[in-house]
Amino acid sequence: MTDFTTVPEPECDHTTGCITCGDEAVAMTVLKLDSERGLALCADDGGRRETVEIALVEAAEGDVVMVHAATAIARVEARDLGGRELGPEAIPA
Amino acid sequence: MKFVDEFRDAELGRAVAGEILATVDPGRHYKVMEVCGGHTHSIYKYAIDDLLPENVELVHGPGCPVCVIPMGRVDDGIALAQQEGVIFTCFGDMLRVPGSKGSFLDAKAEGADIRMVYSPLDALRLAKSNPDRQVIFFAIGFETTAPSTALTLMRAKAEGIENFTVMCSHVTIVPPLRALLDSPDLRLDGFIGPGHVCTVVGARPFEFIPADYDKPIVVSGFEPLDVLQSVHMILKQLAEGRSEVENQYKRVVPYEGNLKALEVLGEVFELRPHFEWRGLGFISQSALKLSEAYADFDAEERFEVPGVRVADPKACQCGEVLKGVIKPWECKVFGTACTPERPIGTCMVSPEGACAAYYNYGRFSQDREAV
Repeated sequence: MTDFTTVPEPECDHTTGCITCGDEAVAMTVLKLDSERGLALCADDGGRRETVEIALVEAAEGDVVMVHAATAIARVEARDLGGRELGPEAIPA
Repeated sequence: MKFVDEFRDAELGRAVAGEILATVDPGRHYKVMEVCGGHTHSIYKYAIDDLLPENVELVHGPGCPVCVIPMGRVDDGIALAQQEGVIFTCFGDMLRVPGSKGSFLDAKAEGADIRMVYSPLDALRLAKSNPDRQVIFFAIGFETTAPSTALTLMRAKAEGIENFTVMCSHVTIVPPLRALLDSPDLRLDGFIGPGHVCTVVGARPFEFIPADYDKPIVVSGFEPLDVLQSVHMILKQLAEGRSEVENQYKRVVPYEGNLKALEVLGEVFELRPHFEWRGLGFISQSALKLSEAYADFDAEERFEVPGVRVADPKACQCGEVLKGVIKPWECKVFGTACTPERPIGTCMVSPEGACAAYYNYGRFSQDREAV
């Protein structure tokens, strides 16, 4: 059974930034959903795991969500994935 | 990681920089404001301004939630933290913001039980595990962070947690932008829009910038290619004589925002009639307080709060930095009396603050900017 109750040790390195203080969100992959409690276990690029409030977005396991202050505020849409699609007007083929 | 690596591609970055060079009019000076502190941080971290032509100047805006908190508000928080039986919680950067008689860290050293949390949810967990103590969460942040506080309050209410309250200092981004645009000492050509605020509120609230002030705004992501492409889109609008809201960050930001989040905000919060911003003074309807339905969770209702007002330190020019009138290094105390280790002004505290970002990453390019 997935443990959704773990509280990570807070750490804040002011030279690299405390993500919760700024207008910053981190892309995280949804590993496990607990829809009943509105929570999800997510992992970031470096493998750090966090329990996240998921009530504000429609997401499935495997989706990438933007997480800010332990709350998913958006699901990243695949349609803009890829350098060329990033901005065909701006980026020469 | 997908959605991240693609936006750090150096070759594509150079290609966009070339497009920017081809778009600018060499005889014109461009001043573009990045509203959000997260962009300031990215710009310095990835040296994005080194890829721009010399006549394109990026100016830092008021979008660092730590930097805009006035000293009196910190003093009020410390007064709450020093009350008997209280566990006071806040985000990491807030701990180091100076009040008139010291910071939260100083108060902690003197014995107050002040703890750093990653999220309001962590503060609620503390309340549940310490039922004999009052846990207060000092909530800061723009519309990006407010939904997290709102969800936590809804959870606390649903679970009947009685020893959890919030000292709400959430602010909204549109009123200070309007105040900046009305400021007579400011000349800007366009705006890099705050991507993660827009994730919640959408791009629509920024339509007043082209409509009322005839200036372009491009909602932008935070990776280096995002910022470069947004600068290009702004310059292109200017070259074509257009002023519009454009959305570069479509992979995350829906034009209408996150409707569920807006609904949650509407239930838990209401607008304050006015709120004091560091360096900008009082701005009408620019901050949030808890709604009537959540008044029981409002620390300012449940506890005695002094309501301190303190003038900014005279040597500190955070206000002018926040308005983009001066560069961080033009402040009299930058890098000497005011450093990230011993900040005088709030802009030096958070890494998203223009002065700290400049101190950590950008100060070596000062000579180039001074040319």
